[in-house]
Amino acid sequence: MTNSNPIISLDEVSKWYGNVVAVNDVSLEVFQGITGLLGPNGAGKTTVMHMMAGLAAPSSGTVEVLGQSPRGDHTIYSKIGIMSEHEAVYGFYTGRSFVELAAKLYGIDPIEPAVDKAIERVGLVAAQGRKLGTYSRGMRQRMRLAATLVNDPELLILDEPLNGTDPRQRLEFHDLMRSLAAEGKSILISSHILEEVETLADRHLLMVSGKLAAAGDFRAIREELDQQPHRILIECAEPRAMASALVQSEAVDSVSVEEDGSIMVLSRKVSVLQRLVPKAAAERAIRLMRVEPLDESLESVFSYVVER
Amino acid sequence: MGPILALSLRQLGGRWRLSITILLAALPVVIASIVRLAGADIEDHFAPDILDRMVITAILPIVTMTLATASFGNEMEDKTLSYLVLRPVPRYHLVLPKMLATVIIAGPILAISGIALVLIVGESGAQMAVAVGIGLFVGVAAYSAIFTWAGLITPHALPYALVYVFLWEGIVGGFLPAVRYLSVRGHSLAMMYGVDGTGFDRYEDLAIEFPAAIIGATIVIVGFFWLTIRRLRNMDVP
Repeated sequence: MTNSNPIISLDEVSKWYGNVVAVNDVSLEVFQGITGLLGPNGAGKTTVMHMMAGLAAPSSGTVEVLGQSPRGDHTIYSKIGIMSEHEAVYGFYTGRSFVELAAKLYGIDPIEPAVDKAIERVGLVAAQGRKLGTYSRGMRQRMRLAATLVNDPELLILDEPLNGTDPRQRLEFHDLMRSLAAEGKSILISSHILEEVETLADRHLLMVSGKLAAAGDFRAIREELDQQPHRILIECAEPRAMASALVQSEAVDSVSVEEDGSIMVLSRKVSVLQRLVPKAAAERAIRLMRVEPLDESLESVFSYVVER
Repeated sequence: MGPILALSLRQLGGRWRLSITILLAALPVVIASIVRLAGADIEDHFAPDILDRMVITAILPIVTMTLATASFGNEMEDKTLSYLVLRPVPRYHLVLPKMLATVIIAGPILAISGIALVLIVGESGAQMAVAVGIGLFVGVAAYSAIFTWAGLITPHALPYALVYVFLWEGIVGGFLPAVRYLSVRGHSLAMMYGVDGTGFDRYEDLAIEFPAAIIGATIVIVGFFWLTIRRLRNMDVP
C-alpha cells in the first residue's frame, strides 16, 4: 500500500557556511518507496541529508520528516534509521557489540533477537565476533547498515551506503533494499554513481551545485536525454579519412578531429552509427582502436539537466 | 546511560591516557617519598603546599583536560558522534556519562595520590585525607564539566584549556582574590580548608568561604553541564 503524503519535505531550504552556499533554495519531497538522491561529489547531497537527519540546521527554509522537524526532538530517531557517509566506527568493538550498542540506545528489549536479525540481513553472521577494526571497508559498511536497521525503522536515510562495496555486495544490497521497501519502509539513498541506484530507485532527485536540478522518474529524464545528440569518441588509425567517411551519413550531426587525433561524433541515431562505423572502417581498411559513447556518465546527465 | 558510559570509559581508558594520568598523579607521591626516605626535615606545610602548587594548580587540570576534552572531541574528530546523537536518547543521557567517565578515571587516581601524599609526609589524620579526597574530586568534577564542554565547542580545546588554566586559574587568581570565587582551584582549596581547617590552615588566606565554594562548584558543574547539553542540541554534527 502506498502513501501519497510526503515522508520528507524540504521547503525553500538553503544552507550556507560562512560565504559558501552548500544548498541553495531547495524544495523537494520524498515519498514512500525507494528514492535515489544523485549528484556528483560536492553537489550538496550530504548537506541535504544532514538537514533531513537533524544533524544540521537549515540556514533558511523548513525541513519536515515524518511530519515533524528532525531537530529538537530526539524521539523522532525511534522511527528513522540514518547511516551517515562517514565510515569511521569504534574499531575496538566487535561487529556484534557495535550493533548491540545501537540496539541499547534505541531502547530495544530484548535486544538479542533484533541484533541477530539485523546482522543476518546484512549477511555478516560469521564475522560478527570480529573487531570492526579488522573489517574490510565493505564489511564495515554492512555492519553500519545492520546498526541502522536494528530498530526496524519506518524510514531509512542512507548516505553513500555503497561506498567500498564490491559488485556482489552491491547486488545483495539492492535485494535487501527491495525487500525492505516491500515491507513498506521508505528509503532515501544517495550516491554519486548513477549505476548504483539507477535500477534500484523508483524516483530520483538530482542535485548539482547545491540545487535540485531534476526530480522524478529517471527513465523519463534519460529518454529526454536521448532526444539530444549523443557524443561518441572514436580512435582509429586514419582519423581524417574516417571523419570524412562518417560526415556523409545522415546519422551524424557533426564530426570533428581532436588535437590528440581522436574523432568526436555528435549523433541522434546512435543505432545507425553503431553499424556505420565498423562498415566504414572495413571498407577503407582503417584499424579501429576505440569506440566509446561519452554520455553515459552521471556528470553528463547532470550537465544536460542543468543546461536544458 | 550505561552503554555510553561503558563506551566512554573504553575510549578514555586507553593506554597512553591512563599512563599519563598515573605518571602525573604519581609525581607528588614520588617527591614526598624521596623527601621522607632522605630523612630531611619536613616543614609543617609541606603537604598543603605540594597539593596547592603542584596537584591543584597543575596536575589536576592537566589530567582532567586531557581526558575531558577528548570525551566529545574524539567523537567529533573521528566523525562517530552521529552514532550517539541519531538515537532516541535525551541529550543529557549523552552528556552525563561523557562527564562521568573523566571523573571515574581521574577522580580516584588523583584522590589516592593526594591522600598518599599526606600519609607519607605524616601530617595526616583521617579528616585531612577526607578533605584531600573531597577537594580533588570536586576539582575533577568541575574541570570535567568545563573541558567536556570545551571539547564540543572547538577541535582545539586542549591548547585553549591550557591557556585558561595558566592565565585564569594560575596567574589572575593569584593577583585578584575575587577570582577565587570563580576558580576551580579556589573551590578545591576551600573544600579542603572547610573540611579540615586545622590540617589545611595554610589555606586560611587563600580559601574562600566553604558555602561559597559549594555553591560556586555546583554552579560550575551544573552550568557547564547545561551548556554542553545546549551545545549538543544546537550544533551541526559533522
